[in-house]
Amino acid sequence: MKSSNSVKTNIIWHRRLGLSVFLLLIFLAISGFALNHSPALKLNKISLSSSWLLSWYGLEKSPIKGFKLDDKWFYKDGSNLLYSDNQAVAPCSDSLLSVAKSSNTLYALCADTLHLLTENGQLLESFSQLDGLPINVRAISAVDNSLYLITDSAALEFNPESLALNPVLAIDPDSLNAITAQLPVPESLVQQLDESGPSISLETVVLDLHSGRFFGQFGVLVIDIVGLLICILSITGLLAWINRLRQTK
Amino acid sequence: MLNRFYKKLFSTAIFTSLLTTTLLASPQLSAKGVYQSGPDFVAEVFAPQQPEPGVLWLNKSIRQEAEKILGRKVLGLRVRYHQSAGKTAWILNEIGKEMPITIGVIIDQGKISSVKILAYRESRGGEVRYPAYMAQYQGATLTDRYKLDKSIDGITGATLSVWAVNKVAALALYYHSQVMPQPESTK
Repeated sequence: MKSSNSVKTNIIWHRRLGLSVFLLLIFLAISGFALNHSPALKLNKISLSSSWLLSWYGLEKSPIKGFKLDDKWFYKDGSNLLYSDNQAVAPCSDSLLSVAKSSNTLYALCADTLHLLTENGQLLESFSQLDGLPINVRAISAVDNSLYLITDSAALEFNPESLALNPVLAIDPDSLNAITAQLPVPESLVQQLDESGPSISLETVVLDLHSGRFFGQFGVLVIDIVGLLICILSITGLLAWINRLRQTK
Repeated sequence: MLNRFYKKLFSTAIFTSLLTTTLLASPQLSAKGVYQSGPDFVAEVFAPQQPEPGVLWLNKSIRQEAEKILGRKVLGLRVRYHQSAGKTAWILNEIGKEMPITIGVIIDQGKISSVKILAYRESRGGEVRYPAYMAQYQGATLTDRYKLDKSIDGITGATLSVWAVNKVAALALYYHSQVMPQPESTK
């Protein structure tokens, strides 16, 4: 009699547990399958950029600012590209610091690279830290057909033909009027950027949902509990099967 | 008896975990970095001579061929190089998996003299900078189909980096042929 009661209790709890984790278990199976075949399904290539999702991940779209020079706007977007009006012209992995114009060449200074551009915004070449650009450069200024790179402590005359730098001790770096104040980029240009703005891959979202991280620590705890319940479900299922075998004998 | 078995199993598991972690972590720790600046590379290659700087303008036909070699759009309208006595030095960037690899290539009389990784920014695949691998490029020339005439052995786990170095080596040979055309008889 006692044994019959315990078998009954086991089956009842097996049913209850099964029903409570039923939906989550199916979701975990499907999401796990999707993650296992992520490269084939190209989940990492699918970008999601809806406002609520970006907001959920703390990736608020901040207003884009840049420089206006010679009727052209220079700015960078979230994907670390330097734009000249609506054309992506070069990588700019760090912040865009300053712009200048001398002769027929435009200069856009990112923190780690100086880009030389034609008047119509085409990239001529890039001068990076590996080529000799000072690490602490903060601005570029054009004065009387001469170009100066401004660091925290000195001004360096820059020769765009040879890419050579010569320290100029006679000039106070603060006296050079470099363009460093950024202005909000017109809405018409920003709208075109929306496609290439910050986004999250579908793979990341599925992975975060699968692990529960999407809902923070609470979500992880829920998935942990579901995992534990699945273990208990397996054991209660096994016990039910053994009991049935005994009864049939 | 069972206790001893579990102790042995536990110590083996710990040892295997430590070994795997060390093996997986070591390339990541050592791969990234700037190994030599462009000016230092050029000075070292041409020492004690002072090389002449040059600029190759990428006109439409050069750009088209360069894009064929790289399999992507070429950025910039001009490329800098250094030359001395038939030898040219090129510093070029190519994406490995996600980040650009900066590669220095020396071409002497239409053949690769040396290839060196100057900066590696990927977290894996940095084995391409090892001298034993780089030595394979010595003496390579460009075929009519803009491929290297030598077979370069790949590196497991660094396939994309190897492809990037191959492309840059071929591109440097092509650029060299544009600034120092070889006479027909020596081709």
